[in-house]
Amino acid sequence: MEVLRLQNLQKSFGSVRALKSASFTLNEGEVVALLGDNGAGKSTLIKAISGVFPVDRGDIYVRGQKVSIRSTRDAMDLGIETIHQDTSLAPDLSIARNLFLGREPVNLKWLGVFAPLDLAKLRDAASALLKRVGISKKLDADALVSTLSGGERQSIAISRAMQFAAKVIILDEPTNNLGVEETHGVLRFVKEVRAAGHSVLLITHNIHHVFQVADRIIVMRRGEIVAEQTVADTDLLTVESIITGADMSALLKETRAK
Amino acid sequence: MPDVKRRSSLIRSPQFSSLVILMVLLAVFAIADANFLSPLNISNMMAFLPELGIIALGMTLLLTAGEFDLSVGAVFGLAPVIVMLLVQSGQVDIGVALLAGLLLCVAIGAINGLIVTKIGISSFLVTLSMLLVVRGAALYITQGFPLKSWDQPGFFVTLLAGSFNIGTFRFYTSLWWFIALSLLAIYVLHYAKLGNWISAIGSNRNAAVARGVPADAVKIWLFILTSVLAGLAGMISAFRISAASPVAGTGYELEVIAMVVVGGTALTGGRGTILGTIVGALMLRSIRNGIVLIGVPGLAYNIFVGVIILAMLILHALLQKNAARS
Repeated sequence: MEVLRLQNLQKSFGSVRALKSASFTLNEGEVVALLGDNGAGKSTLIKAISGVFPVDRGDIYVRGQKVSIRSTRDAMDLGIETIHQDTSLAPDLSIARNLFLGREPVNLKWLGVFAPLDLAKLRDAASALLKRVGISKKLDADALVSTLSGGERQSIAISRAMQFAAKVIILDEPTNNLGVEETHGVLRFVKEVRAAGHSVLLITHNIHHVFQVADRIIVMRRGEIVAEQTVADTDLLTVESIITGADMSALLKETRAK
Repeated sequence: MPDVKRRSSLIRSPQFSSLVILMVLLAVFAIADANFLSPLNISNMMAFLPELGIIALGMTLLLTAGEFDLSVGAVFGLAPVIVMLLVQSGQVDIGVALLAGLLLCVAIGAINGLIVTKIGISSFLVTLSMLLVVRGAALYITQGFPLKSWDQPGFFVTLLAGSFNIGTFRFYTSLWWFIALSLLAIYVLHYAKLGNWISAIGSNRNAAVARGVPADAVKIWLFILTSVLAGLAGMISAFRISAASPVAGTGYELEVIAMVVVGGTALTGGRGTILGTIVGALMLRSIRNGIVLIGVPGLAYNIFVGVIILAMLILHALLQKNAARS
């Protein structure tokens, strides 16, 4: 079942056409990898979906409904959660407080921003969540995020997205700066996320990771989607050549024929 | 096990090392001069404490959100000057004049906040310029002369600078203001939703924004709050001494920031502690009174204050490092 559909998204910054035209569909319980060199338009596309800025043209559909995403809040309310490498967590806050940042459980709701946090609920929900995602053995909900490793931080950020029942989880370079073991931990986690029924859009430079977890691959170049293939139907070298643009014509023909 | 864990996290907390240093300071001064713990000196310290302490509360929240305000000392001077000028003009009631003074503080804070967040200039530069504008305004409109303050007893004077005796101690109502505002600040920073936002903004602004936290609005309101508290403190001080001087509060901005940082709030944002700030305010106050009592010559006074603050910061850093290692 289709969860997210983009139709002909376009975005320019001044005279630079960062996104010439992008259309693709993301299905339920699917991990789609978005590949491309630097400047291919990946992050522009991601920012448009996650509400950082509006697109110039084109439509976004969530579960078949046409939507307009004007802010990160809009995207979150539609069930689209984006996790960036460095910008997802506040290191000086506890895990529990990070998990609920911006959606804090409170008592006396009428007090608005002055409402007291429901600390018991905050801690319980955080512990339950950590247990569910299988990292409760090591992590305490009250521990500061600054004491965690990079891989643990990614896991926390991904858990947070799962917790709010996100339909679409966008992972922006989740394995950057991670050690080998931690990278495997995060990739394993991505599979669990898929098993739980969420859809994942994975942006990465590392093609090896893509072949480990993704179902489909979308390649962007110069603001356009130049190829879309299922992982089963392709191999590492082919994808690599599409990204760099070597021997494009034959491959494009093959893609279009499908 | 959990007991040991709790104890070590208490020792590691920045407030704790500040508290230890405060105790040491108090002990040293008390031994050096018996008058340090006399009712007169304690009353005297409690009269001064709230005036800088109230500003420090606002500054703690602002620093936790990752910004700071150098214009507080100037606002401390200007606000009561405006109030007194309005009263002396005979056109308005004292209550209205006080309100007008506070509204001016709101405006100054809002301008600081708007320039910092919307134009994106560092708060250091913006509030440094604001310091000059505000201090210059106070000097110009008074032509440099202090104004005689409102000295007739009345509701507002009692509210801001009334005094009362407990045994041989004499306290001002400003102490109640400080206690009440401290409790409020502790609640907001550590227990309310807003406090979570403030810490998150200072810790990682982008993360907070990505979660839908209105970072700019929060910062602007904190600039306004800090400015208003500085103005309020200035009025309390002016009523207490019955004079509004255009140079009142000179240098207070740095002393307030020193209080906050000595208390354990991170200068870089993200980590703030109101309890630490209260300890820091007590610390700087006892240093100021203590070194006068033990007979440091007047002109050498600031050397000692500076050296002691530095020593405390170093000690603080070492204690923290030790606690983190163990």
